[in-house]
Amino acid sequence: MGRVAHVTAEAFESLVLRSTLPVLVEFWASWCLPCRAVDPVLNQLSQELAGCVTIAKVQVDQNPGLREAYEIHGVPTFALFQSGGIVARSVGSQSKGQLLRMIDDALESG
Amino acid sequence: MTSTDRKAHNALKTCWNCPSINLAGKVDFRACGQAAEGFDKDTSAGDQLMAECKRRPGLGLFDPMAITFEECPEWLEGPYGFMLKDMRVMILGIDGYLGWTLALKLGRLGYRVSGVDNYSRRSWLAERGGHTIVPIARMTDRLHAASEVLGVNINFRAIDIYRERERLREFLDEVKPEAIIHYAECPAAPFSMIDLDHASFVQENNVLGTLGVLFMMRDILPETSLVKLGTMGEYGAPLTGRPIFEGVFPADAVLHWDDRQWSLGGEMTPRDPVSFYHVSKVQDTFNVYEACKYWWLRSYDIMQGIIYGVHTDEVSADPRLRTRLDVDEWFGTVINRFVSQAVIGYPLTVYGSGEQTRAFIALEDAMQCMVRLINSPPEPGQYGVVNQMSGYYSVMDLAKTIGRVASQEFGLRVTIQRLENPRVEADRHPFEPVFDALPDEFGFQAQHAPEDVVYEMLKLLTEPKIRARILEKKHLICPSTWWSGAKKQARRLEVLEETTYG
Repeated sequence: MGRVAHVTAEAFESLVLRSTLPVLVEFWASWCLPCRAVDPVLNQLSQELAGCVTIAKVQVDQNPGLREAYEIHGVPTFALFQSGGIVARSVGSQSKGQLLRMIDDALESG
Repeated sequence: MTSTDRKAHNALKTCWNCPSINLAGKVDFRACGQAAEGFDKDTSAGDQLMAECKRRPGLGLFDPMAITFEECPEWLEGPYGFMLKDMRVMILGIDGYLGWTLALKLGRLGYRVSGVDNYSRRSWLAERGGHTIVPIARMTDRLHAASEVLGVNINFRAIDIYRERERLREFLDEVKPEAIIHYAECPAAPFSMIDLDHASFVQENNVLGTLGVLFMMRDILPETSLVKLGTMGEYGAPLTGRPIFEGVFPADAVLHWDDRQWSLGGEMTPRDPVSFYHVSKVQDTFNVYEACKYWWLRSYDIMQGIIYGVHTDEVSADPRLRTRLDVDEWFGTVINRFVSQAVIGYPLTVYGSGEQTRAFIALEDAMQCMVRLINSPPEPGQYGVVNQMSGYYSVMDLAKTIGRVASQEFGLRVTIQRLENPRVEADRHPFEPVFDALPDEFGFQAQHAPEDVVYEMLKLLTEPKIRARILEKKHLICPSTWWSGAKKQARRLEVLEETTYG
C-alpha cells in the first residue's frame, strides 16, 4: 500500500467503484506536461494518506471507455470517488495543498 | 549497486515507450496539449489503443503496456540499462565535437549508427581563420579508422539538413532510425553576435533545420524518439534566485495573485536567452514542444551545461578518431579555452568579475546521459526536458582550478586576467539549477570532476604538436565580438598572479 495505483478499465470497478476507502483518481495522458508535473505530489499523497484515501491514475488514451463515461474533457482531471460516485472533481494542475483541500472539503461535507 | 538489488532505470518501461511499435486502434491526435478530445485516426482495432510490434508482427495487436523491456527479447540488458537490439540511431551533426564522440560510443555498444553532416563546423572555423587545436581526420578517414580500429561501421551521408531537405527525407526513409540525435546546429553565442548576417544565419540554420526534421518525423517516423540538444543558456539566470527547473514548473509552484492561486505545474518556465544563438534554441524548444502536442511525436529536449573535455575511450583509441576541440573566442567553451591558454602561458581570459556561475558537464558524462536517454525513449506525445549537467561553478573558480592543476601537475606558470566583459550578462547573480531527472529517472551518475578532466586535457594539449596549433591561433583567443556591436579587443582590467589566487 501507499503507492499510486495504475488502474485500467477492467480493474476500475473493483479498485475504484467498490473500494471501501475514498479514491482520488487522476485521469492523465503521456503527452500532458501538467500530468507529469503532478506525479511527485501524488506519490507523496499516496504515502501520507495511506489507509485513508487511495491514490490512483487512469491513462485516458488507453482507457477511452472510462474517459467517455466520466466526461473527461481535459487532463489532468482529478476526481474523488466515494462509494462508487464522484464527490469532487477539478481540472488542470493542482498543488499538494489544493488536492488536500479538495479531499478534506469533500469528505467533511460528505 | 548490482542489478540484483536494483533494476535498470528502464526495466519497467513497456512497448508504450518502444520506437519499434506501431500504435493501432483508437489513436487520438489532439490540437491542444491538455484537451482530451480529438479525432480518431483509425478505429480498425475497435475502441482500445493497441500496439503492433514492427519486429515481431506475428504477435498481432496487443496491449502496449503488457510487455516490459525486461521481458521483451528485443531489449537486452547493457551497461546503461536495457537497449533495443541493433537499435538504429541517426546522428544529425555527426562530424561535430559531440556527434562524432557519440557515434563511436554508440557503435561500440552495438547500435547501428548512421549520420549526416555538411561539415559546416569546419567551414565556420575556416571563415574565422581558426582551426580545431586537436587535429581531426577527414570524414572518409574517420569512417575508415572507426571500422578498422573499433569495428564500428557508420552509414554516413553528407547532407545539409536545412538546405537539402529532400535528401534528408530520403535518407531518413531509407534508414528508418529508431532514435534521432539532433546535434546539427550552430552552437556559438559569439558567432551569432558578430553582425546581422551571422545572427540571421544562426537563427535560420538552427530553427528552420529543426523545423524540417519535425515535419519529416511526422510524415515518416512518428514513433521515433528525438533527442534534441538545447542549452542551459535558454533559461538565463533569474535575479530572484528562484530555482531553474527542468523546463516546466512543478505542481507545487503556485501563482498567487489577487487573493487567488493556481498551480503552475507543467507550464513552461520562462526563458531568458543570452544571445541570438540562445534565442534560436528557445525557438527550437517551442517548435519541438508544439510538434509533440500536435502530432504525438516523442522528444527529450536536453538543456546541456557547458561541455568540456577531450577524452572518451573511443576517440582516444587512434589519432584519426579524435574529436575536434575549439578554443577560439567564437566556438571555444570556457574550460576548453582556459586549458589551452594555460598550455601556452596566455593569461586565462575571465570576462568581467568572473563571478558568473554556469552549469557544466564533462564530455564523457554527457555521452553517458545520451545513451541513457536513447535507451529510455519518451512516451507518445511526451515532450520531456532534462537539465544535463553535473555541477555548477563560477568562471573565476574554474580558472583557479585550472591554474592549480596546470601549475602543480605540469609545472606551468598560470596567471588569470580579468577582461572587460564583451557580453551583456549579469556579473553577479544567484543560480540554483535543478538537475534531478537524469539521476532519478535515467540512472545517470556523473563520474568526472573538472580537476580530473583538466588533468587529462593538459596531458593531450601539452603535446608539442598540439601546443604549436594553439600558438598558431593565439590571436583568436582574446574576445573582439561585442554584444553591443563594437569591434575591438577587450581591455584588461586586472591580472591575478599565481601567488594571489593559489
